[in-house]
Amino acid sequence: MQLSYDYIVVGSGATGAIAAKTLVDKGMQVGLLDIGEEDGEYKQVIPDSDFRTIRKNDKNQHSYFLGNKFEGIPWETTRVGSQLTPPRSFLTRFSEKLLPFESDSFQPMESTAKGGLGGGWGLGCYVFSKLELEALGLSEPDMLQSYQEVASYIGLSGAKDDGSPYCLRDLKEVQPATKIEENLNGIFEAYKSRRNKLNKKNIFLGRSGLALLTKDLNGRSAVKYNDMGFWSDANKSAYRSWITIEELEKKRNFIYHPKCLVTKFGEQENEIKVYVRRTDTNEEQVFRCKKLILSPGVLGTARIVLRSFDYKKEKLPLICNPYSYIPCLQWRRLGKKIEQCKTSFAQLLLFVDENKNNFDVSMAALFSYRSLMLFKLIKETPLNFADARIIMQFLHSSFTIAGIHHPDKGSDSKHITIKKDESSFTGDVLTGEYVLSDDEIQVNLARERKIRKALRTLGCFPLKTIRTPIGGSIHYGGTLPFNEKGELFSISKSGRLGGTKNVFVADGSGFKYLPAKGLTLTLMANANRVAKNVLNDE
Amino acid sequence: MKEAKGYILEANRITDYLISVPLQEQEQNNYVSAMCQFDFQLTKYEKRLLSNMLKSKWKMACIDGGLAIKDPGNIVRRKIFTMLAILEASPSYTRYFLSRDFSVFYYAKLGIIGVRAIFRALVGVIIIRNIRSKCS
Repeated sequence: MQLSYDYIVVGSGATGAIAAKTLVDKGMQVGLLDIGEEDGEYKQVIPDSDFRTIRKNDKNQHSYFLGNKFEGIPWETTRVGSQLTPPRSFLTRFSEKLLPFESDSFQPMESTAKGGLGGGWGLGCYVFSKLELEALGLSEPDMLQSYQEVASYIGLSGAKDDGSPYCLRDLKEVQPATKIEENLNGIFEAYKSRRNKLNKKNIFLGRSGLALLTKDLNGRSAVKYNDMGFWSDANKSAYRSWITIEELEKKRNFIYHPKCLVTKFGEQENEIKVYVRRTDTNEEQVFRCKKLILSPGVLGTARIVLRSFDYKKEKLPLICNPYSYIPCLQWRRLGKKIEQCKTSFAQLLLFVDENKNNFDVSMAALFSYRSLMLFKLIKETPLNFADARIIMQFLHSSFTIAGIHHPDKGSDSKHITIKKDESSFTGDVLTGEYVLSDDEIQVNLARERKIRKALRTLGCFPLKTIRTPIGGSIHYGGTLPFNEKGELFSISKSGRLGGTKNVFVADGSGFKYLPAKGLTLTLMANANRVAKNVLNDE
Repeated sequence: MKEAKGYILEANRITDYLISVPLQEQEQNNYVSAMCQFDFQLTKYEKRLLSNMLKSKWKMACIDGGLAIKDPGNIVRRKIFTMLAILEASPSYTRYFLSRDFSVFYYAKLGIIGVRAIFRALVGVIIIRNIRSKCS
């Protein structure tokens, strides 16, 4: 087994995959270290057909809709990760054991899968505004080129409309937007007729930018509208990070090392030692490289850096988008049959830009509810299940979910620490505290009121607001904030980890602010930018 | 063996309550597998609730409705919910869950069902209270 490389990338998620690809494309010898869990249970048994046809014909559907161990029949109250369907549950299968986290106020989700949390990504793509990028600690000119490179590679679909300035901005090579489904089209038409009134209140609605192909690209197929997006990636129309890893595995200058949990690194004069604990044999292994790129995700990077610097700092800051969702009923669609061909992903975005400057914007992603099965909705009603089933079957077609992300910035009451725990796999456990201030809570509540009001104007009647536990947005950042002083536990703009010469961080650890918009495209663009900086650092 | 027989009886009675049709063998087996997987430990009170529910589907509707208000997380309700999920994930019963076009007259039916659900819940609360007092 090769243990020595010019470049080692840690983690195969959205950032690790793009960082590795950027290096491999330039002809560098790259090794990627990853835990790399894969789905060996469900991938083969899900038919390549549409949701309605499967529901009517496949006698084996219970195995993947409910899970072989019936883990897809949730009973407990909302918890982080409960949105994952059984075929996606492998994403977090060993997280509790290998990446332990303790907290009463913060419930993060981390992945041990090949392709990381990108395997469950909702595909929403956003190019952050100049002000947002500056608040993150990045500069717009640096990022725009990387946004374009990543977008051209993964393939984005979207439209030019009122949402564009908040969404894909001026990206080129964007494929046409997906066909809009009837439920959301009703909302979009209502917006068009009330546009002026809503715009005066600083509310804008537009089509989503999605990492979902509407035209074939690089061996991947255009979306088939089979509404199985939460269950299967059969034709690769949705971009997933594992697609990149599988492409790279075919190249001679790339080697993928699964079952490798990186615990820490040690930098010497011309070499970095990367310490690994194998998840299959428990053995220690040492890899060597000239340059190390950390991208196992914000919490994973924090663990590695804290250990590598001998736990010299007690607390690291943490930011995370608070997330809530509002189930709504759209009266125009009551008692109607849902069309056979549609996508599962959010197709409309509602933005509240109070200052009209594309900064500190609140956002709701709108999607309809079908392929996550009706029984989960029936459970939420305060009625007996038999009568609730009849009522919910009637209401089914009118259900719209508005998923609301709030922006976040750091404060003293949001942080993580690491403590020794001999019983854990790595001998320590990450702990965290995340408490929003009263002011932050009030601002978020006011924004949710505004979004509810806008939804009513659009003919959607909001039922209740469900707040997920903090951590549920799965957007984390800010643990090693960007600064140019080269201090320990910080990252320079180029991506170099403070206190090191050849260790770089390609994930969101440096971000000092998280806009309400989804992070993934920005994370990938930043990983591309950092990898190019690594190459220029020779 | 004895447990499996009990689960089969439950599966059939719950299905009759939920959608008023006979249960097929595969879904019956799925329910037994789910119960073995979950391995619920029922208290004396929950056992009483369950045995009362299995007596008639009218009683099951009332107890389910009462629990939905007073104790929605009760294990007995989880059993019904599990059967509901198994039925939805079966091609034989999928028509009871998939959306379809309803006529405008269906609104009247929904109104009656809504009133019936409230009535069942109120009766259910009284039944549950009686069972609880007998168990304490």
